[in-house]
Amino acid sequence: MTRPTGSAATQKGMAMTSDQAPSDGGHSPDGGDASRVRPLPFDTSRAHQARFYDYLLGGKDNYEADRAAVEAQLKIFPDLIFTARANRAFLGRAVRYLAGEAGIRQFLDIGTGIPTAGNTHEVAQAVAPESRVVYVDYDPIVLAHARALLTSSDAGATEYVDADLRDTGNILAQAGELLDFSKPVAVTLLSILHAIPDSDDPYAIVATLLDAVPSGSYLAISHAGPEFVSAQTREALEDTVRRTSLQQYTVRTREQVARFFDGTDLVPPGLVLVEDWRPDLATSGTAKSSMWCAVGRKR
Amino acid sequence: MSASEQRLNTVVPGSEQPDPDDAPAEGIVLRLLLGTQLRRLREAAGISPEQAGAVIRATRSKISRLETGRVGFKARDVDDLLTLYGVTDDQLRSRFLFLAKQANRPDWWTRYGDLLPDWFETYLGLESAATTIRSFEIQFVHGLFQTEDYARAVTLLGHRSASPDEIEQRVAVRLKRQDLLTRPAPPRIWLVLDEAVLRRPVGGPAVMRAQLRQLVEVAALPQVTVQVVPFARGGHAGAGGSFTILRFAERDLPDLVYIEQLTSAVYLEQRPDVEHYLEVADQLSGAALTPAATALFIEQVVKET
Repeated sequence: MTRPTGSAATQKGMAMTSDQAPSDGGHSPDGGDASRVRPLPFDTSRAHQARFYDYLLGGKDNYEADRAAVEAQLKIFPDLIFTARANRAFLGRAVRYLAGEAGIRQFLDIGTGIPTAGNTHEVAQAVAPESRVVYVDYDPIVLAHARALLTSSDAGATEYVDADLRDTGNILAQAGELLDFSKPVAVTLLSILHAIPDSDDPYAIVATLLDAVPSGSYLAISHAGPEFVSAQTREALEDTVRRTSLQQYTVRTREQVARFFDGTDLVPPGLVLVEDWRPDLATSGTAKSSMWCAVGRKR
Repeated sequence: MSASEQRLNTVVPGSEQPDPDDAPAEGIVLRLLLGTQLRRLREAAGISPEQAGAVIRATRSKISRLETGRVGFKARDVDDLLTLYGVTDDQLRSRFLFLAKQANRPDWWTRYGDLLPDWFETYLGLESAATTIRSFEIQFVHGLFQTEDYARAVTLLGHRSASPDEIEQRVAVRLKRQDLLTRPAPPRIWLVLDEAVLRRPVGGPAVMRAQLRQLVEVAALPQVTVQVVPFARGGHAGAGGSFTILRFAERDLPDLVYIEQLTSAVYLEQRPDVEHYLEVADQLSGAALTPAATALFIEQVVKET
């Protein structure tokens, strides 16, 4: 089910590759291994996940290569637009739940992306204006957009951290300047973990983040899964992504995604497709997202 | 347009106009919207600008000016063009005609018409209709952020022989533009400045210090972002000169790049051109100091001015 990442590692512009890991594979226990992380080059000749997603959501911060990649993938997987929008809608409902019912006031949003409507701090601060949100992205230009557009309410606060998800030590150190890690924090990893290949041990990354926050904290994840796409479609998609995109993907099964939530209790309805997580309206469409999600509460 | 682009961009003219209380839909932006739609229809029908021009007794360049919102449409011309482009749906036709009528409303700056060249009037309209203004400046503080004294000093530089009355009127236009900072639903303004802008004491040190303090104040507004590219960062992607990118709420409207020259201005709206400038703007904002560091930097420059 998991795509091989080795071949992609040699491609031009690949910022997130397994070959950057030290050969002994030794991560420091806190995961703060900055040597594995290289800044993303500014390259508009290939599709960039953040800009690709921006185009799917109707934004204008994208380039020809991003749009071409969307077009190419749409031909193979027409539910892509639905998937992107359903994932974005899940963000809204999950953050509303966390700020509302769960009473969370601190958010660590990793993989911010290009700002669009209904960003994490806007949703959280609409419920609780004093909410504090740290946005993390590994692309300095995406982060510049976030700084320019994601400005906090007066009662709350937003901060921006330029770091790779693999560099958890750096993320936690910088986020700690705004967030109080002795109080519950919601860690949101939406549509980002599938950009981490198995060779970079995404389970250890998530475990490190969860270790840093107290009991009663929350973890929200959405992650591309292979179950609803035929093997043929999957192969065609992987081939297209390899040819057109800066970042490569590792899809994970429902069971594999569930393992990220070790040490947490899943909030009902558990691990489901993004469109089925506490939907606002009963859905009647036939489109399916292929994106797993859940929200778990740390024991 | 590909099938999926149609799915992503399904806009019927007139159906998605912003609420007039939210964001004023200026005549210019309506003309631009109308022109963009008509160009798409023309291209989809495989009709050249010359052919279109022949039908409404106009030249190729007139068609180009119409399609880029520079001039208003006569209802009869829109009617003839729609027929030529094979648009037969009555409802659609009447929406186009309504838009053409709306697009011919006068705008606030027309009363300064004698003073302002046409190209600048056009810019004022686009600026007040934009939802996002992204600008890079290498020489002067952006017009939207100028103090009255700084604006006067800049105006004097450009119009040495103008009468005091004319200078004051020009300054008044500049300050009037700033109304959009405080209106309801103001546009997002994202400004990147070369350090040279901060160091050139236009109007003298006292005027400059006041200007720099105002810059810090305006930068603190929630919808405003200011970033400085310090000299210490070396060369940068924007070395070619100042430019402004305007973005509009309408899904169907492309971004516009505006470049002011001494006696005229250039608008770029073809996608490859616009994307080149978007790339430069992206690179500059990545290379510049963060907004928080910029505020500290400007305060330091005030002390040194």
